[in-house]
Amino acid sequence: MTRTILEVHALQTVPPSCLNRDDTGTPKTAVYGGVRRARVSSQSWKRATRQGFHDLLDPSELGVRTRRVAELLAERIRKLDGSIEQGDAWTLAAETIQTATGSKIEVPKRQSGRNGEGGGSAAPESKYLMFLSAHQLDGLAEMAVKAHGSGNKDYFKDKAVKDQAKRIANARHSVDIALFGRMIADATDINVDAAAQVAHAISVHRVDNESDYYTAVDDYKEREDDDQGAGMIGTVEFNSATLYRYAAVDVDLLRRNLGKGLREDEPLTEPVRRAVEAFIQSFLTSLPTGKINTFGNHTLPDAVVVKLRDSRPISLVAAFEEPCQADPETGGHTRQAAEALVSYLTEVEAGYGVGHGDPAWVLRVGRNTEALTRVGAGLPLPDLIAAVGAEVARRQDEA
Amino acid sequence: MSVLLLQLAGPLQSWGATSRFARRSTEAAPTKSGVIGLLAAALGRERTEDISDLAALRFGVRVDQPGTLLRDFHTAHHFVTGEAAPVSERFYVADAVFVAGVEGEDALVETLRQALAAPVFLPYLGRRSCPPSRPIFLNIEKNAGLIEALQREPWHAARWHQRRRRDERSVELELLIEAEAEDGPVDSLRDQPVSFDPLNRRYRLRGVHRPPRASVINPAARPVHDPFTALGSA
Repeated sequence: MTRTILEVHALQTVPPSCLNRDDTGTPKTAVYGGVRRARVSSQSWKRATRQGFHDLLDPSELGVRTRRVAELLAERIRKLDGSIEQGDAWTLAAETIQTATGSKIEVPKRQSGRNGEGGGSAAPESKYLMFLSAHQLDGLAEMAVKAHGSGNKDYFKDKAVKDQAKRIANARHSVDIALFGRMIADATDINVDAAAQVAHAISVHRVDNESDYYTAVDDYKEREDDDQGAGMIGTVEFNSATLYRYAAVDVDLLRRNLGKGLREDEPLTEPVRRAVEAFIQSFLTSLPTGKINTFGNHTLPDAVVVKLRDSRPISLVAAFEEPCQADPETGGHTRQAAEALVSYLTEVEAGYGVGHGDPAWVLRVGRNTEALTRVGAGLPLPDLIAAVGAEVARRQDEA
Repeated sequence: MSVLLLQLAGPLQSWGATSRFARRSTEAAPTKSGVIGLLAAALGRERTEDISDLAALRFGVRVDQPGTLLRDFHTAHHFVTGEAAPVSERFYVADAVFVAGVEGEDALVETLRQALAAPVFLPYLGRRSCPPSRPIFLNIEKNAGLIEALQREPWHAARWHQRRRRDERSVELELLIEAEAEDGPVDSLRDQPVSFDPLNRRYRLRGVHRPPRASVINPAARPVHDPFTALGSA
């Protein structure tokens, strides 16, 4: 059987920015190689990647991660049967989700006080974020309508119904659930193990966070006898960095998570190919939105290496354990980082005797990334994605 | 019996032994449950499968480069309203290198080596977002016990870390070894895995014994300064 593991490596430079901050507003950092680095957490970039899917995939192939899952399901129920009142639909939805996931769906305590204040009662919510695919929600909605139609109050107490609800919640996973996994604390047997592994992005060089002191002028304070001070003052913390970003996807696990896929009219390799292509596109082009309107740090990676391996993934972060030093004359970290990335890749593969003939694709921008031509000819992103997708599909056919 | 030596290095690692809910702490060194989980995953065992053979391996860790504790603040938001869900804290060990050893029957140790070369489920250092930065498999020691194997293994700290201690020609490294009856009273940690089944996840207490530190050669040590050699022998 051909084992397929996808690796994505990227170098991306961001100007002053605050992509991902901690509870004090400071950009996240980590010590690596004995020096402080800028850091963007994996959770942060995974969410950005997931949001990016909405531009690439049909809503039917995606999931929703929310605590307001009852409202979401109630909307679908009311679409199927308009005669069900909103309040009843909420209750019905809550009961259906509770049957499928074992998780209590209740009106939150902080909300229940609002009942009867003219705005109607509050909707029930789950205790934690619940991740369900569009198809699973559709299936549960159909089930709820059936329950309503049966007129049987104990409909959901039936063992066969319970099993069916669980089956609906555990089949036809969306692309995002298959890639990033799902954790339902009350029904761990319908958890989904993530096929994608995303590392925290860290800078290839030492970083010191900086602080920007600002004053804001009050536009209306124009008369001379007005107080002349600023309308407000504050500080924003930021840093700028060349980040090493790394992700690996277990393509075989992805295929198992996706199952046969969501459409009847396509080859079996199609869902995996589409999921892999969407992942590469969205992982590379997405950006966490933290303070993006303050800093306008809309950049794209300068250097990308995508590899398919047949044994295990290799993170190249150790190439930057010794931090890159900006050239005192010209500045910049990208050239040194690209060279370090390529020589580490070559050496680790030679040293451990892996990677000979594993296909690799490169996307590069600018003179500073010339070192990457030693790994492969550069391709524009759409061509790179199509080439990786075709190879993934070919290997799945073989498997 | 032989000893499988593993190298656990990466920008971030996280080895929880007691955490639940919103505060996810880490121990200062890899836990037995974490490392056995990594090996079970490499073999492709499902979480519900029996792991008693792996749990029976004797486990030890050497702290080659202790790293620093990192606290990460994590929020989640409502998909629709953008409203924040309860925040959680996650702790990591940053910039650390450990050598872990498991001692067991030759055949099992060999199977584990092969599994690490082509793992069924992808390995990570305690948490999925922590991929290893170096190959995990180091060595198999056939003619040494667990402690001896950990004492013999060369120092795997990063070059910068070795240079920072360049005034020491040999360096003492802490050992944390699974205790045996004759070790007497020891510290304990709830990281002896019984079952990884998500419906019935169980760990038992495990004694952790700290034998005398391992002494390893520092390859980055400054040459000894002896001005008399320059004068030639009298």
